[in-house]
Amino acid sequence: MMMLTRETAGKRWRVRPDGPVKVTGRLQYLTDLAAPDMLYGLVLRSAHPHARIRAIRTERAEALPGVRAVLTHRDVPGLNAFGISRQDQPVFCFDFVRYVGDAVAAVAADSPETAERALDLIEVDYEPLPVLDTPEQALAEDAPKLHPQGNVLHRNEYKRGDADAAFAECAHVVEETYCTPRQMHAYLETEGGLFVPEPDGRLTVYAPTQHSLLDRMQLSRILGVPEERIRVVSSPIGGSFGGKDELNVQPYGALLALAAGRPVKIHNSRRESVRAGLKRHPMRIAMKTGIDAYGRLLAHRVRIVADTGPYATLGAEVLNFATEHVLGPYRYEHVDVESVSVRTNNGMSGEFRGFGGNQAIFALEGQMDRLAALIGMDPWEFRLVNLRRIGDPGPFGQTIARTDGAHQVWRKLKESALWRERVAGGHGGSAAVPADPGESARPPWIRTGIGAAMVMHGFGLGYGIPDPAAGRLRLAKDGKIEAIFGYEEFGQGLLATLETLVTETFGFAADDLRLIIGDTDRVPDSGSSTASRTTAMIWQALRRMETPFRRKLLGAAANLTGRPAGRLELGPGGVRDAESGELLIRYADIAAEAAEPIAAETHFHFPVTDMEKIGAHFLYSYSAVAVKAEVNLLTGRVRVLDQYHAVAAGPVVNPMGYVGQIEGGSGMALGFALLEDAVMENGRYLTGNLDTYLIPTIADLSGNVAVEPVEELPEDDPYGPRGVGEIGSVGLAPAIAAAVYEATGVRVSRLPIDPALLIRRPEELWKAVSGQ
Amino acid sequence: MIGRTHPVPVQADGSVIAFTLNGEPAAVPVPPTRRLIDVLRQDLLLTGTKIGCEIGRCGACMVLVDGKPVNACLTMMYQIEGRRVTTIEGIAGSPDALHAVQRAFLEEGGFQCGYCTPGMIVSAAALLAERPDPTDGEIIEALSGNLCRCTGYGGILRAVRRAAAIGREAGAHG
Repeated sequence: MMMLTRETAGKRWRVRPDGPVKVTGRLQYLTDLAAPDMLYGLVLRSAHPHARIRAIRTERAEALPGVRAVLTHRDVPGLNAFGISRQDQPVFCFDFVRYVGDAVAAVAADSPETAERALDLIEVDYEPLPVLDTPEQALAEDAPKLHPQGNVLHRNEYKRGDADAAFAECAHVVEETYCTPRQMHAYLETEGGLFVPEPDGRLTVYAPTQHSLLDRMQLSRILGVPEERIRVVSSPIGGSFGGKDELNVQPYGALLALAAGRPVKIHNSRRESVRAGLKRHPMRIAMKTGIDAYGRLLAHRVRIVADTGPYATLGAEVLNFATEHVLGPYRYEHVDVESVSVRTNNGMSGEFRGFGGNQAIFALEGQMDRLAALIGMDPWEFRLVNLRRIGDPGPFGQTIARTDGAHQVWRKLKESALWRERVAGGHGGSAAVPADPGESARPPWIRTGIGAAMVMHGFGLGYGIPDPAAGRLRLAKDGKIEAIFGYEEFGQGLLATLETLVTETFGFAADDLRLIIGDTDRVPDSGSSTASRTTAMIWQALRRMETPFRRKLLGAAANLTGRPAGRLELGPGGVRDAESGELLIRYADIAAEAAEPIAAETHFHFPVTDMEKIGAHFLYSYSAVAVKAEVNLLTGRVRVLDQYHAVAAGPVVNPMGYVGQIEGGSGMALGFALLEDAVMENGRYLTGNLDTYLIPTIADLSGNVAVEPVEELPEDDPYGPRGVGEIGSVGLAPAIAAAVYEATGVRVSRLPIDPALLIRRPEELWKAVSGQ
Repeated sequence: MIGRTHPVPVQADGSVIAFTLNGEPAAVPVPPTRRLIDVLRQDLLLTGTKIGCEIGRCGACMVLVDGKPVNACLTMMYQIEGRRVTTIEGIAGSPDALHAVQRAFLEEGGFQCGYCTPGMIVSAAALLAERPDPTDGEIIEALSGNLCRCTGYGGILRAVRRAAAIGREAGAHG
């Protein structure tokens, strides 16, 4: 048992390179930037969830002193639409508005106050239309079409065997429908940035995103200018979690800056961020799962309905991910999955850490627990009976990289202190047996339970989607070794990971390096910083560049020192004698004197499966989560006391980052399970800020979190570290549901858990009021 | 390069608010009702104080007023007339120094994106100034007005415990 902590990580637990500027407040986020002569930009959002636009009049706003630009759809020089995958979201609406975050106009003014007044002066005539605020309404035959193609954004399915026939053979069948909330990313830094027209005619965009080169491409289409005329500076970022992957304020800032010929700053208020921003797809997942008398899974039927809101962004890709992940790490002969992502007049759903896996796995693990209970089996042993084995194909039957991750984490959890405590306390119902000595000291209305869940989570974008990777190493003129990647730092610890991998690969000191990311003028197309892919891609890029870059550096050093390259090695500060370690020549001196540039660059594609199913994954991480939770039967509130996470994701690159991803991700999952839902009514948000949208506080997350990595991979594995950016955000919710069942006997199928379901009237009180 | 280059001119209507900012006397010509957060971020370009909700819920804008943690988004300038305001830029006492809380956040990984971090550190520093050896319950209460979306608070809790330990060691040796 080796939990990952500062103590156990030893020297590899390093202070992050971006740490000192973060703890002192010196780091300027892109929304902190100011420029001389800058204007303040604001966007006019739709007054209705669904309406026809009859007319837009901007004359009064334009006449207001201090207003420098007022823009509508008439002012978009290029494509009036955006979307990473499908460009169906208008920059400015012109015929219809389809949700309350839709943009109708934008202004730039000398002060925020003037900009706000100008928004008030823009007159829009709307003809309100019926609001489609559930997928069911939107799928009705007579529903108005939100887009010419109709209200279905995307359908997917996967079938093998004959599930319907197999159910007849099953000894037991569980049917349940699971519903998940519209979770908000709630990054602390809302969307924004600074947009600067440069003297040479170029435009510099300082705005957070998870893929700067893609933003540049989208902006080039909208502005009608070549990509080379746009520079996107995209890091550092005050949190994203997928929420800043798609364009948000960038089109408006860019258009306003070009129209006004002056720098424009936009920084969304929280209210606007809630209204316009992406959320996690609310999903309704109906499952019917059958087993034989021995607990072996025979058939699994799944129907997924996702509320994707009005526009595509990556709604189709999220649905594909959910379609794959409702199958999980289990073996079944007969599978029948159908899924649909439906356009509505609700808020935008889109990319969010876990990417449809959170919803899918909450449902799937709920089925496993219900089936185990039905036949009186321990839920963890039940999973083992059905668990995939090393070499098994992936959920769609596709070839996947061979690992034993599922069994590795299964065993770790079974040996964990938390699970042993559960076994010692007895199980299989309403937790009447005290699970620990402290239990008897608790008042009778406090019940505790321990639950667990398995996660098999794909990373990378999957089959059929461009998923490039690239990196560059270079000895700069000043002697710094530059590591250049087109990735973004939004808190995950990318810079620390990059520093660690480069220093450990080559033997450089951290001081020898200059890390360059997040600037389209400087980086190669490394692909997106999404889908838990960056650590793996940096590792693979360095493997490709290691030999050529070392050879060039040592070759130059050999020329300059007159010693054979074979006797030299790279080290801190410069090239050293391989035997004695003596410093022979500093990198700065090599840089000054080398005859040829010393650099290496690599471009490759994320490894994919050979099965032609869009989005099917090739690489997976695994985790097993156990949680001890306490339920207060008087209030119905659930408190998480203790968590254990076993994670099989290959070697740990950055221990602090690894722990942070699992702890932080599970904090998000706790919110998903217990607190969070951006409730909408008739297409309008009932919440506008963090007073009514509650994310976990330190009081909700003060319990212990143990993280145990399983680093072992098959000996011939060429893929290295797997992604851990998302997996921590997935397993806790189903594990909490299982713990709540152990504590109370109540099965939860809807998140966040409604406390009303868990409130029990105390027996004494019942007697007192009933007179019995 | 874009940076802290120009204070934004603000209509002052003749009023000048005098206070102490990070140990130095300050007098800013702003209306008495202007929010402290706007004076710090927009007028003085002290952007270490962050803005997250503007309703006093997230704590990203936490500063000290006479040593007590206060949300700068809920504070009007007249309320700080004659008082001592300490922001993250001044929490360590001098520009080159690190407060024990800042050191502990670095060592324990008490931050990720870092956007909540200045406010979190200000709240933690205020706690330790008042209670150098806090219980977990006191830490939780002191930080319950600061939201973090990245860390799950584990690293933050460990960092504040560690900062208290650093303080104890300094006390024992000093």
